[in-house]
Amino acid sequence: MLSNRARLIVKTVVLTLLGAGTIAAIIGLIVFRAGLYNIAANEQHYPLIYTVFEEGLQYSIQNHAEDIQVPALGAPAQLLRGAAVYRANCVQCHGAPGVAPQSQGMSMQPMPGPLADADVNWETRELYWITRNGIKMSGMPAWEYHLSDSDIWAVVAFVAAMPTMTPADYRRMTTQQGVTEQAQHAAQTATEGEDS
Amino acid sequence: MNGARIVTVAALAALLAACGQTRPAPGIQGDPERGRIALTQHACHSCHIVPGLAGSKVYVGRPLEDMADRRYIAGKVPNTQDNLVRWIMDPQAIDPGNAMPAMGVSERDAIDISAYLLSQ
Repeated sequence: MLSNRARLIVKTVVLTLLGAGTIAAIIGLIVFRAGLYNIAANEQHYPLIYTVFEEGLQYSIQNHAEDIQVPALGAPAQLLRGAAVYRANCVQCHGAPGVAPQSQGMSMQPMPGPLADADVNWETRELYWITRNGIKMSGMPAWEYHLSDSDIWAVVAFVAAMPTMTPADYRRMTTQQGVTEQAQHAAQTATEGEDS
Repeated sequence: MNGARIVTVAALAALLAACGQTRPAPGIQGDPERGRIALTQHACHSCHIVPGLAGSKVYVGRPLEDMADRRYIAGKVPNTQDNLVRWIMDPQAIDPGNAMPAMGVSERDAIDISAYLLSQ
């Protein structure tokens, strides 16, 4: 049995915690219900909040992408395919070496980062996870149901190669010439398939 | 006691100054506070670390915290406000082949952005 003194301490602690919790809940409800939080995309986060969100995002992706096996990447045909996928779906928000994102990608919050430094921030398996699954509340869509798995790997291979690209490299790989080469290659592969 | 009070007041003043609005540096045209927002709406902070703005540790473009002290822009032209405005609006015109694209910044926005960067 607790002594009177111990009982008093326990009672005080419990009541204090309950009281503090109730007050916090009431303040939270007022802020929530009165709409005091400014949800505008052109109002920036406080640096500390931004850093906490960003670190949480990194830990989450590290954890969820842990078991992904990365196939051999970077064959020239795959890179060209990746370049085409990137030009069709990614450059609008992320931009590319020497290429600005379109206006809808410029004023988002959070800002879709450039991918010229993707190798610094992410492992290849993490790039695949992000592309396939997207990132909640960030504007990054999930591509799983919109791109084939081989196209996701192709664009991951392309993004992984982006840090070594100059603006001229990017232009060459995504312009008509690159696309033509890719089509020729595909046709060639198809013919070879028929021959065998 | 007096010493402690002076330190406290100085600390509070510093804190207030940090929270306050950016005033344009002497000889700088434009509205730095408007520039601070314009800068986020043209994705400057996607590639550059910008003083006074939340953002990632990104080193795709150079950090912009010491723009007022720089002598040259892209190692090409003297770092005057006029040149900085030109650079923000069309980097390729000053340094063809540079990886920084023109971001479609209007002259007014470029003046305000340069005012913010040069007033840090």
